[in-house]
Amino acid sequence: MKRIFDAQLIGPFAAMSIVAMVVALTTDRFLNPANLSNLFLQVSIVALIAIGSTIVIFSAGIDLSSGSMVALLTMILAQMLKFMNIPLVLAVPLILVSGGVLGLFIGLITAYGRIPSFITTLAGLIAFRGLALTFNNGSPIFSLDPALEPIFYGKLLGIPLPFFYLIFFYALAAFMMNFTKLGREIYAVGGNPAAAVLTGINVRKVQATTFIIAGFMTAVGAILMSARLNSGSPNYGQTLELQAIAAAVVGGASLAGGRGNILSTLMGAMTIVIVQNGLNLNAAPSSIQNVVLGLIILMAVAIDMWRVEISALISGAFKVSSPTRSSKNSKGD
Amino acid sequence: MTTAAPLWEFVDISKAYPGVLANDKVNIRLMPGSIHGLLGENGCGKSTLIKTLSGVQQPDSGKILKNNIPVTISDPQAARDLGIATVFQEFSIVPTLSVAENIFLGKMPCSRFRIIDWGSVRANALRVLSEIDVNISPETITGTLSVGEQQLVEIAKAIAMEASMVILDEPTAALGETEIERLHHLLRNMRNRGTAILYVSHRLDEVERIVDEVTILRNGRVVSASGETEINVSKIVSAMVGEDIGEHYPKEKHVTADVVLEAEGLRTRSGVNNVTFTLHRGEVLGLGGVLGSGRTEIARALFGCDELTAGQITVKGKPVVFRREIDSIRAGLAFVPENRKFDGLFFNFRASGNITAASLNALSRFGIMNLWTEEQATYGLIRDLDISSQAEEKTVNFLSGGNQQKIVIARWLFSDSDILILDEPTQGIDIGAKIAVYNLINKLTRAGKAIILISSDHDELLAMSDRIAVVQHGTVVRTVDAAELTHSDLVRASTIIPRSKYEEEFV
Repeated sequence: MKRIFDAQLIGPFAAMSIVAMVVALTTDRFLNPANLSNLFLQVSIVALIAIGSTIVIFSAGIDLSSGSMVALLTMILAQMLKFMNIPLVLAVPLILVSGGVLGLFIGLITAYGRIPSFITTLAGLIAFRGLALTFNNGSPIFSLDPALEPIFYGKLLGIPLPFFYLIFFYALAAFMMNFTKLGREIYAVGGNPAAAVLTGINVRKVQATTFIIAGFMTAVGAILMSARLNSGSPNYGQTLELQAIAAAVVGGASLAGGRGNILSTLMGAMTIVIVQNGLNLNAAPSSIQNVVLGLIILMAVAIDMWRVEISALISGAFKVSSPTRSSKNSKGD
Repeated sequence: MTTAAPLWEFVDISKAYPGVLANDKVNIRLMPGSIHGLLGENGCGKSTLIKTLSGVQQPDSGKILKNNIPVTISDPQAARDLGIATVFQEFSIVPTLSVAENIFLGKMPCSRFRIIDWGSVRANALRVLSEIDVNISPETITGTLSVGEQQLVEIAKAIAMEASMVILDEPTAALGETEIERLHHLLRNMRNRGTAILYVSHRLDEVERIVDEVTILRNGRVVSASGETEINVSKIVSAMVGEDIGEHYPKEKHVTADVVLEAEGLRTRSGVNNVTFTLHRGEVLGLGGVLGSGRTEIARALFGCDELTAGQITVKGKPVVFRREIDSIRAGLAFVPENRKFDGLFFNFRASGNITAASLNALSRFGIMNLWTEEQATYGLIRDLDISSQAEEKTVNFLSGGNQQKIVIARWLFSDSDILILDEPTQGIDIGAKIAVYNLINKLTRAGKAIILISSDHDELLAMSDRIAVVQHGTVVRTVDAAELTHSDLVRASTIIPRSKYEEEFV
């Protein structure tokens, strides 16, 4: 257990707590139970998609396609429910499989075609939204199925269902990253692909697998999106991929790959949503929200990049005259 | 030689890296119109000195005099401004630019308003190229030229900047015989014009032909200053090697008659050329040869990294085909790569993740890893190999080179491999850690494992191997008992290229 709840969680947790405290000081509506419940609903979709984005980042890739993939999958779901009379119990698994297949497609091109994921998923970002527009003449499809909404709005023991989805998928992801061979291989490929090859790890297969996971989690997000609005639209999920990546980065995942804790991504997503919530409650104009989001990402990466300097600064503040200032690559031996 | 004043003088140059004194009060005097050989074995401090001379790094102490006036070479641009041109082993040519652009890179002739004067670029490039008798159009894209021609463009660069001193680091490593002749002709011309030339090479036969004087380095010190050694291959070799090969190598012999690995006629596209040898249980087979002779490529071919185009590998009597690295790992092979930083370690993992990386299948059931076993086994290996206990808690980037290397080797102890390929296992680690690696080699052979050892440290290779296969141009030219070979034999065998072989290679 030590490994899952390790030091990497402290920073993102502290950041989330500080942000929550600041927001709570600015408005007493923040700690209102209705608001907190709403917060979970708001964070759930991006936080679930961010699981996939983070795992791709762990293997030193990037997934820019998830937002557009959400739009495409909501349109496919809407098409199946509204025009093809496919029952919900069948449509939902089909969407999950579709997400996995789209991810596999991107993964194969990336890993075996040796094209950087930045490019393959950028192509996906553009093409998937284009594909979404080919359904229903590019118009949204509304009122899909009355049984769809409870997937998002339903409650169990008085707690909104998305809360359980978060717990379930984050627990599963944390288990995978920390206790399975695949998780270890993902970290190894992200840490040093050349060394991974020489230790017999099938680097390409691992890379492709991360995109299958990302596609699957995007499908989960797409189903919740459709359920929330009981509709499908080619306009859904815009900038969702960036919010998911932001959640990973604010959670401390290194974009260079190999480092990070999947549970921190949940903290990262929460931090972002709390800030947005705080701005909303304080009636800040929506245009400001994106500016703030940009600044948060910048700050999170800056803290990561300047970690050595910052810790030197902090230790310097406590120990004014340390005889040996350790350098970046200090060799303890 | 004339009694003219030295053009460049480097006095008491010292440079230390963490743990090593790479240059210890080195003195070199470069006379105008003289080709000065700088020689020594790998790791003697040549590269360090070249870096200092070309402004890549600063010496810790010492003086640099140009025409008796003290100067500071603060960076590579300052070196160029002072008239020092360096032709590095890896060229500093931009392959996508034209020959003319490369020749004047960084100081393009410009008209007013800093606009490049293409007419003058072309004319000057033509003048320089014809001056050195090179028949290449200035418009040619440099990357399309042969390696030899690119080398000549590098020289043209030096001439265009009217360098007073030209440093050539292994200039012939990639050249054929005719190209070498041409280069030497060019160098003699430059010498006649009064340029001071510092010539660094491993190929002593060639050095003998071209240089006027030599300075020989060993362990960072000048052991033979200019004029002290006759320019003759065997004299140079004995000065390079020295008498004091008195380091202690704790070699144990465990070689048996069982053959565990046979390579028969291996070839790859990476340059392995008809390699045949056998490896016995408990044996250390050393691969000797100069840098670039193809030793690492042979290792990669054995391990399944590079596809075989011909030949057969047999492991314990069974013919095998390694399509991927995992196939060779399953067959009991292990590979400790030369560059542990780039190819060996996972800096995002602690010792445990690094040690178990090649054994994830053995550690897991239905894809779920047994982390407790992992921790226990790692803990045991950390203690057995005397690895710093910090390795348990911290990621491996915090460890010393010696500890890091032990961790890479420990990975293959954990995987229980029988045949280990160790490529430069002691490179860049201090003497204590080296001895620990030697003891580890003994421990492995004692347990019946077989080792292929690649090392550019000739003493180490001779002392730790049972047999040595001398590698030249991607092939094993002969295999001999390590005891039958002396240090100078090995240096000679790996640095002198038999003429016939040579021509065969480049015709």
